[in-house]
Amino acid sequence: MSDRSTNLPDTPPAFATPSAPVVAGEKRLPWLRIVFGVVVAVVALALPYLNDPSTNQIFCQVMYLALAAMGLNLLTGYNGQISLGHGAFFGVGAFTTAILVVDHGWMIEATFPVAALLAALVGVAVGFPALRVKGLYLALITLGLAVLFPLVVKKFVHGSGGVALLKPKRSQVSSVVDFWADDIYRYYVCLAILVVLFILAWNLVRGRMGRAMIAVRDQEVAASTVGIGVANVKVWSFALSAAYAGLAGALSVYIDRTADATNPIVYFQRSIEFLIAVVIGGAATIGGPLLGAMLLVAIRRRTEGTEAMAPALLGGALILVIYVLPDGIVGGLRRLSTWIRGRTSGGAPPPDGAPEPVAPAPAPSPT
Amino acid sequence: MHTKRTTKQRRPLTALLLLAVLALLATSCGRSEDTGKGGGSDGGGGGNGDGESGAVVDTADCPDTGTAGIDGDTIKLASSFPQSGLTSAFAQISKGYLAYFDKVNAEGGVEVAGKKYKIEVTAKDDEYKPASTAQNIESEVGTDGTDAFAVFNVVGTANNVAIRDDLNDLCVPNIFAATGSPVWGNESYPWTIGSTLAPYTVEAKAFADYLKENKPDAKVAMLVQNDDFGKAYEEGFKQQIEGSDITVTQVKTYEAGTDEVTAEVTSLKASGADTFFNGATLLACPNALNAADEQGWDAVTFVSGTCISKTLMGIAGEAADGVFATTNIKDPLNPAFANDSAMKEYNETLKEYGAKDVDPENGIVAYGYTQGALLVEILKSLDTLDRGTLMNKMYDLKDLTGGLLLDGVEVNTSPTDRFLAEDVQMIQYNAKNKYFENIGDVLDFEGTTPDITPKDLINS
Amino acid sequence: MDALNDSLFVTQFLNGIGLGAVYASVALALVIIYRTTGLLNFAQGEMALFSTFVTWWLTERGVAIWPALLGSMVFSFFAGAAIERLIIRPVEKSKNQLNLVIVTLGLFLAINAVCQLLFIKPGQDQVLMPLMFPGGKLNLIVIDIPWAIVGRAAVLAVECAVLYLLLQKTKIGLALRAVASNPESSRLVGINPGTMLMLGWGIAAVLGAVAGTMAASRGLGGFDTSLMQQVLVYAFAAAALGGFDSPLGAVVGGLIVGVARTLTVQYIGWLEGIDLIVPLGLIFVVLLVRPNGLFGRNIVERV
Repeated sequence: MSDRSTNLPDTPPAFATPSAPVVAGEKRLPWLRIVFGVVVAVVALALPYLNDPSTNQIFCQVMYLALAAMGLNLLTGYNGQISLGHGAFFGVGAFTTAILVVDHGWMIEATFPVAALLAALVGVAVGFPALRVKGLYLALITLGLAVLFPLVVKKFVHGSGGVALLKPKRSQVSSVVDFWADDIYRYYVCLAILVVLFILAWNLVRGRMGRAMIAVRDQEVAASTVGIGVANVKVWSFALSAAYAGLAGALSVYIDRTADATNPIVYFQRSIEFLIAVVIGGAATIGGPLLGAMLLVAIRRRTEGTEAMAPALLGGALILVIYVLPDGIVGGLRRLSTWIRGRTSGGAPPPDGAPEPVAPAPAPSPT
Repeated sequence: MHTKRTTKQRRPLTALLLLAVLALLATSCGRSEDTGKGGGSDGGGGGNGDGESGAVVDTADCPDTGTAGIDGDTIKLASSFPQSGLTSAFAQISKGYLAYFDKVNAEGGVEVAGKKYKIEVTAKDDEYKPASTAQNIESEVGTDGTDAFAVFNVVGTANNVAIRDDLNDLCVPNIFAATGSPVWGNESYPWTIGSTLAPYTVEAKAFADYLKENKPDAKVAMLVQNDDFGKAYEEGFKQQIEGSDITVTQVKTYEAGTDEVTAEVTSLKASGADTFFNGATLLACPNALNAADEQGWDAVTFVSGTCISKTLMGIAGEAADGVFATTNIKDPLNPAFANDSAMKEYNETLKEYGAKDVDPENGIVAYGYTQGALLVEILKSLDTLDRGTLMNKMYDLKDLTGGLLLDGVEVNTSPTDRFLAEDVQMIQYNAKNKYFENIGDVLDFEGTTPDITPKDLINS
Repeated sequence: MDALNDSLFVTQFLNGIGLGAVYASVALALVIIYRTTGLLNFAQGEMALFSTFVTWWLTERGVAIWPALLGSMVFSFFAGAAIERLIIRPVEKSKNQLNLVIVTLGLFLAINAVCQLLFIKPGQDQVLMPLMFPGGKLNLIVIDIPWAIVGRAAVLAVECAVLYLLLQKTKIGLALRAVASNPESSRLVGINPGTMLMLGWGIAAVLGAVAGTMAASRGLGGFDTSLMQQVLVYAFAAAALGGFDSPLGAVVGGLIVGVARTLTVQYIGWLEGIDLIVPLGLIFVVLLVRPNGLFGRNIVERV
């Protein structure tokens, strides 16, 4: 039997290689970035006023999906641990919120940190055993987790009607400020949480922790020799990524007013959705999860009538992406921009002259 | 493992986080519990069942949507029920009422308060899943509840429970819910009411009474669905046999929507029971009968009123011979009703207006037809066409008959009696002739449901 | 001598064998693919689902169940080979674990959805698979075994025999084993590894077709697109228990997992509804304690 059974990748995953080192030239036009940022901010803030409540709900769905995808991205993209179980963390967050709100009358916003924390704890509980299992086998175990979770919920959670379905009332997710309608208020809450957590992630991957995560992903043995606590990093990554997913689950209850475990494979499907968003958007990037979430929701909306079309398209897209765009859309865009820049600067190599490195590289520059 | 950052880098980040947390906490302190939009589970749409003639729903708390969902001369109804796959047996119900509505529409429409209206029904497939039901109804009724006049004949106990909060808050009538759950008597949700399907606890009582008379020391094993539908049978039956020599040897549950019940039946048989309360519905019901037959379990068997359709009993075939049930609808297959005038009218209506694939001989089509017929009668009797009037009328029905209700069964409701039809007759299946034979007299359980149902079951 | 027949233990044991036969068949497919291409095929269940629908489709057109199954097996062989060649091959070379997982997950989603789109028309009544084995029981003096269980066990035995003969006693089998063990060297002796990989996937797909059809063909035969989803987890548990590279292990593992399932549900009441935790726990324990499983030989990399 060849060495296919070893599950340390020989080469870093495709998405790990940065496609464009920071080019000095970018500093020439900082105002472009600022303008771009301002435009995006204005659009994001004005959006809910220009649309009806059901469209705003869709935007919020994109946001919580992006959040969950970012969580998975941190673990799988930046830390190399494959998880098919993030649907379960999402579910933990969702049901924490749902139970606290429906059965105990909590303010829903107050449940968000609790949901994230609980999910993180479950993440730790999974992260420790995950130290002993790698690659495909870790994927298998986490898959089992995602399939097991709704069964456990079904057994212990009895919503009204006697099924594992909890629905907060409209009054429990309404706006608390007079000048914002319900759906606008919820949009801003999601936006605020998304922005804060994305900035957090951005800071994280550029900092020492991020570099440690990436080092563990690419060359675990080497990382331990330079003093990185590999086990700590791995478990921490699990916990953090689970927290993101759990928070996303809490938001899903806020937006969709449903926590539903009646379908045994629902959280497995969620896990795959997050993975799709990460891979298609671009793993190990900051913008990737958001793009991937947008695409996911767009495809879902387009195929609303025929229920099975969405998974068919998504499955096909997933496979295609591996061949055509291994580093996802963001990676593809980056490569495109490098190529364009290469051409416009008359074919001269970028100032640092760094070709695609074979050895693992430090954190890729965020979008 | 902590990230060392320079103090400069750390500060903005921490500040940002603190701000966010503070903002969240600040906002969450401001919420008032009751936004007063028709109220939640602590008051309903102003409902309080005091006195015989008091209105049950008080539209003063409702938004001004009393006539929403009436589009010109069309009354729009919304529904949701399983239409495909393993749960498709219930799809036939709608064919009954759609045929009746088509007939009424073809004859100019139903006359309400001097004006004629057509009736239109939109119904999506929910595959018997409560989460899908909620989604469907929300999209059909609209986020502010104005896209349909009323919700009609949604199938499933858990399915109706998933939508009752919202519809209560939005003051949208949810009438003729196609389930016999005693939960529709819950006074906190006056905007939801059931249909002529007798409450499950009444069914349980009928069977318990039968046993007390014919098999007083029966050992009963029960198969019920793992949700409130099943709970109604289990608790209702157990309450009825208290004090008698009848015992329950074992209760097994199965998941809604699944049809695999062989293991459960094996276990029930092994518990030593000689009587089988088959409270299962959809495919699980005939599967259970088949399993019992295959395992040679010779038991006095009772099946749920939701199982007595031609499709489901046909699947069980010989294994269903001799099983008991209750009903208040005339069975189209029973030759005793062949010359009945209501039955003739039913057959004619279906022949002319029924969908191509409808089978008039199927008992649940007859049930659907009856609900449609009763709704039209009720609409005719309103003095104004608005939601509040309709809903209050639903609690003020006196001796109403129509459709294929058995002779002697009348619909009676009041603010204290929130169940439409509580009279039933025992029936027994004859597999050779393939229909149910009526046994004994129509049993009068009018107004008894609250007495025979555990209080916390009604109010759940 | 009715004691054995009345014994709940025996009944549930036999039920477990019936279930285990299905798990073992899928586990066999998983093992074949693992040995030839080194990957865990998360889409195995859905491939089997598609084959099951093909069988059903043939029976809807008047073909009897066994010929329909054979037809489906032929179809599945070519479909499986095609999937390997067109979809898996390019990724298989990259040795990147995440990509392999993603591709098989993509297949999982796509194939399940395609089944839904192709075979389930809106408003369709439930899909029913005819019975493969007669009802009633085989009377073996001391015990009556339902024909369904006897049949499934027999099918499994035939699968094992055929595979054994194929792998151990034929040239093709030898070539297959050679490629599984050392693709580079086998190229040197004139074996085309690509063809062998396609063959491996084809065989696995055939096993899946049998497993899926057996799984659907019970009781009234009603099934839908969720048929194989839980089965997959049990099958993975069986393969892990037996050792991912041992066909014998897959069979033994499958039977053990099946019996363990029915017995735990019967005797450990609180597990009801969440008995999936047993095979999951099993996978985990095996991977930790004895990664080669009961019969595997290959060392699985551990930290």
